[in-house]
Amino acid sequence: MTKRALITGVAGQDGTYLSELLLGKGYEVWGVVGPQPGDFSKWAEQFEGRLHVLDADMTDTDSLFAAVDVSRPDEVYNFAAQSSVGDSFGSAIVTTEVNAVGVLRILEVLRQLAPHAHFFQASSAEMFGNGAEMPQRETTPLHPISPYAASKTYAFHIVGSYRDSYGMHASNGILFNHESPRRGLQFVTRKITDGASRIKLGLATELRLGNLDAKRDWGFAGDYVEAMWLMLQQSTPDDYVIASGEVHTVRDFCDVAFSRLDLDYREYVTVDPRFFRPMDVNVLFGDPIKAKTRIGWTPKVTFRELVEMMVDADLRRLQQPPNASDES
Amino acid sequence: MIKRALITGITGQDGSYLAELLLDKGYEVFGFVRRAATPSTERIDHILDRLTLITGEMTDQTSLIDAVTQSQPDEVYNLAAQSFVADSWIAPISTGDVDGLGVTRILEAIRRVKPEARFYQAATSEMYGKVHEIPQTETTPFHPRSPYGVAKVYGYFITLNYRESYGMHASNGILFNHESPRRGLEFVTRKITNQVARIKLGQATELRLGNLDAKRDWGFAGDYVEGMWRILQADEPDDYVLATGETHEVREFCEIAFARVGLDYRDYVVVDPKFVRPAEVELLLGSPAKAKEKLGWEPKVGFRGLVEMMVDADVERPTRQSGGRGAL
Repeated sequence: MTKRALITGVAGQDGTYLSELLLGKGYEVWGVVGPQPGDFSKWAEQFEGRLHVLDADMTDTDSLFAAVDVSRPDEVYNFAAQSSVGDSFGSAIVTTEVNAVGVLRILEVLRQLAPHAHFFQASSAEMFGNGAEMPQRETTPLHPISPYAASKTYAFHIVGSYRDSYGMHASNGILFNHESPRRGLQFVTRKITDGASRIKLGLATELRLGNLDAKRDWGFAGDYVEAMWLMLQQSTPDDYVIASGEVHTVRDFCDVAFSRLDLDYREYVTVDPRFFRPMDVNVLFGDPIKAKTRIGWTPKVTFRELVEMMVDADLRRLQQPPNASDES
Repeated sequence: MIKRALITGITGQDGSYLAELLLDKGYEVFGFVRRAATPSTERIDHILDRLTLITGEMTDQTSLIDAVTQSQPDEVYNLAAQSFVADSWIAPISTGDVDGLGVTRILEAIRRVKPEARFYQAATSEMYGKVHEIPQTETTPFHPRSPYGVAKVYGYFITLNYRESYGMHASNGILFNHESPRRGLEFVTRKITNQVARIKLGQATELRLGNLDAKRDWGFAGDYVEGMWRILQADEPDDYVLATGETHEVREFCEIAFARVGLDYRDYVVVDPKFVRPAEVELLLGSPAKAKEKLGWEPKVGFRGLVEMMVDADVERPTRQSGGRGAL
């Protein structure tokens, strides 16, 4: 029997990679697009009717009810989110409405309409905040220090509550940063690879960044969606850290990216305090050992390969005439 | 200069005791109350002429901004909540909206209108849920199991976040159970003392309860509101556990309550599985050591004194309500 999956936030980076993965496995996929779907519908056409596009809003319970009713999913992946940590300081309320209460809404709908569906929640390493143990594991206490992280912490806990209270197959993937050529331009990695490519092509002369010493654990989004799928194939639901297990600084990222283009980042990158967050997370560094031992997951793409993949894609995109289709 | 305080949830148990305390200290007290066809002001009727009530909703940002503008408070106490744990499974979304997101709304209102105001958030021992250590302190990790506990964890972290990100004097009081003759009938303590009075007076014959072995750390609400006030008088904002440091079983509560009117609880108490929660929390026992050391706060009313005070009040109460649907 064909499995059916419902993906919220399907038009985003993770949603598109996961769609490709599931369609490749023979699933029928229903994708919920948010207010800014871009040209997702056009992208979905390549799958010849096996990727259905639905409109729903994480702040509107009725629309989620309708989405579950029509898709009758075996698996639900929740990616819909206001995903910018920086923006969450200026829009704490809407961030919480979508990222926190939105998860509760969809869990409640599933409890009533599809209680046997397996549920994946995209939790975030940002929940660990400062001062957490190093590296962070599933047992590390949460200490969110942004409205974004607080909203994700709410979602993480409510998933656990529904699992324990109702026996639902609901799991959290605690995802460390995961990037790709499809990452939004507001994220630092993509900002770097786009900026470096523009400089290479003479379209820009400098790249302004915040804290170059900020360290992150960066992996490839294509690897991470595979872990999500594996989590929902387990007989029991659980929470897993999904991480590369290595950290690199923003400076390292710049170094590899500019080198790929035969440039020296030190000649182009300037530090702009405007890009410092009110409270910055110092080191997010995940230990993926539980995912490795329990569900057999390991990331395949290395840091260098990831940065180079992103630079190559941006360079190619910027070299194309303006009307040609976007890489993502 | 006369200090001004704004209290949300002023019609509740804690709100009414806190309003009395602040009036005694010479504050001008403003209360934020919900619109209602029949206002439930019975707990503050005796001081109503000394209070200024402002009507609004925790789910409506404009009404909160308006309340802060009108009251220009030096201190804000956020006690408004859907405070009954069992109901949070029935109405999880509105619980999240009021108890979680409502905190962000009021913090935003303060940040915009009167950022120097001191802010108190009523956090709760329910945040510990599946407890990680006994007794619980300010550093014990949270593991909430109920939608109520999950929303309160969010409220705690967003309070911490506004303190750290914006330098606001925002503090959490992590309050363990605190009771009084003004406790709502949906709570197990008041359910017991109310029913003891009815049995004593021949108006009832039995008392149906959930898990008699459940243990709680119960103090007197009048002592706890004094702790809240002290938290806001400290030079630096911080988080404090307010607890008695001792636990007693529901059974023990019954024993003292029935004995107060010369009865044996074993003759009247019936265990009803209907009142057992979907996910019961484990041993909640708080350590008030930090509050004692930093604030000089200690509870004054002991366990026996509390139970007897509640039974006496219920026996003397001219109008006694039947029922009470609560477990814990």
